[in-house]
Amino acid sequence: MVLEATMICIDNSEWMRNGDYGPSRFQAQADAVNLICGAKTQSNPENTVGVLTMAGKGVRVLVTPTSDLGKILACMHGLEIGGEMNLAAGIQVAQLALKHRQNKKQQQRIIVFAGSPVKHEKKTLEMIGKKLKKNSVTLDIVNFGEDDEGKTEKLEALLAAVNNNDTSHIVHIPAGPNALSDVLLSTPIFTGDGEGGSGFAASAAAAAAGGISGFEFGVDPNLDPELALALRVSMEEERARQEAAAKKAAEESSKQEKGGEEQDATMTECASEGASEADNKKNEFLQALAMSMDEPASSHDLQDTEMSDAATEDPELALALQLSVQDSAKDSSSQSDMSKLLADQSFVSSILASLPGVDPNDPSVKEVLASMQSQSEPQQKQDEDKAPKEEDKK
Amino acid sequence: MSAAESATAIHRNQVDLLDFIDWSGVECLNQSSSHPLPNALKQGYREDEGLNLESDADEQLLIYIPFTQVIKLHSIVVMGSEEDGPKTVKLFANREHMGFSNVSDFPPSDTAVLSQDNLKGKPVVVKYVKFQNVRSLTIFIEDNQSGSEITKVQKIALYGSTVETTDMKGLKKIEDH
Repeated sequence: MVLEATMICIDNSEWMRNGDYGPSRFQAQADAVNLICGAKTQSNPENTVGVLTMAGKGVRVLVTPTSDLGKILACMHGLEIGGEMNLAAGIQVAQLALKHRQNKKQQQRIIVFAGSPVKHEKKTLEMIGKKLKKNSVTLDIVNFGEDDEGKTEKLEALLAAVNNNDTSHIVHIPAGPNALSDVLLSTPIFTGDGEGGSGFAASAAAAAAGGISGFEFGVDPNLDPELALALRVSMEEERARQEAAAKKAAEESSKQEKGGEEQDATMTECASEGASEADNKKNEFLQALAMSMDEPASSHDLQDTEMSDAATEDPELALALQLSVQDSAKDSSSQSDMSKLLADQSFVSSILASLPGVDPNDPSVKEVLASMQSQSEPQQKQDEDKAPKEEDKK
Repeated sequence: MSAAESATAIHRNQVDLLDFIDWSGVECLNQSSSHPLPNALKQGYREDEGLNLESDADEQLLIYIPFTQVIKLHSIVVMGSEEDGPKTVKLFANREHMGFSNVSDFPPSDTAVLSQDNLKGKPVVVKYVKFQNVRSLTIFIEDNQSGSEITKVQKIALYGSTVETTDMKGLKKIEDH
């Protein structure tokens, strides 16, 4: 999250026509530049990035350090390849551009893409490096493309002259199947930026590894972080809801074969769980329970199980459920169907058999089944006893 | 220590400006990371002869010191060793964010060539008239005594007075240090 002004020096010399990287060296370089700009602006919103070209007719500053990502990406369009790279002049102009940055509190950094042969002497480069160090400018060198006599050596010497406590880096990227930008993601040029940069790098790397051109949910978190966040949150909510529903279904069927006592026990459990949560949650739940108690007995079981399950997990959900159940309670036919199903011994035992941990021959289960068959009256009485008890508990 | 200071006693209304330095804005270009500026400026560190401010890539140093209030600068003390201590020191008042490239762009408010006495602690009296209204001070150390690659500064102390209040009773006398 370090506050930084960065100047990126692009090599747009004739050597960049070569196709050994990606579609062409120049395209690979452009992708890498886009990635870097994104990472810098994301890691700290006050960071600024500027771009200049080193070849062509001469060193030309395309955009002075700005935090406007669109401007930076726009200036990358319509760049022409030609001429020879002038590394020394490029770095010096970059240093000058940084010197005149608007926010003097920003650290100065230059990122150089050195794709063509370096025609300067080692001595010259070392002097430039020293001058950069003296003015506390850090330098990152991306060595790719041509590799001829002494280029690596010269660049390493330049780095040694600039380097102050490992703040400057050099990366050598040979031609290969991986794109230039992907290889860069794992280098200190990205990860050295701190948590923000590495977070971005990690997500981009994951996406790249997965072979997806976009990011999760198809939305680039850089271009639209709010949308990405909203998508992620709704995904999690849906997952949680589904889990709750699944849990509810399992608990429902397990509760259905247990008798009034167990149900009441669960209800008291749920009531006490509700008590252990915040007060208003508990009140809501108890209110809901109380309201559901007043409903006709036939619809009792279902409502109670629904209420107790849902309420422990989500009081708003409980409220909503309760409202919907109240509505459906008016439609007694569906409820009576349910109660008929419950009364159907064979149906219940089939459910029992399908459940993993339950043995239909277990005596306690049989007892419960027996009590279930003589539902309504005794249950209602017990539940109404429960209601005043829970009122007291409140 | 006290003998040296009483020998270099200055006008009684001058105060060590250490308390008025805005430490959040203090910067030093070309300092070595293992021997940074606080070694020469901060109370305690600057008295320690083992702790120096050292230059890094070459022998020049550019020190920027902002103040919390407007001050008048009367004199400075720059202490260092015989060979590696600074020689030519240029002072710029109220110039923000200078770099090595623009030190020659405008004339300094004052220039001092340090003698061996100065390096031992004798204060250099500056052109007071040029430092009447100082918000920030830039100290450019151009070279050192022997011309070596690294300049070492043991202590930098600034003496002067504040502009808003020159309450004589409130000022600490130098002899009391």
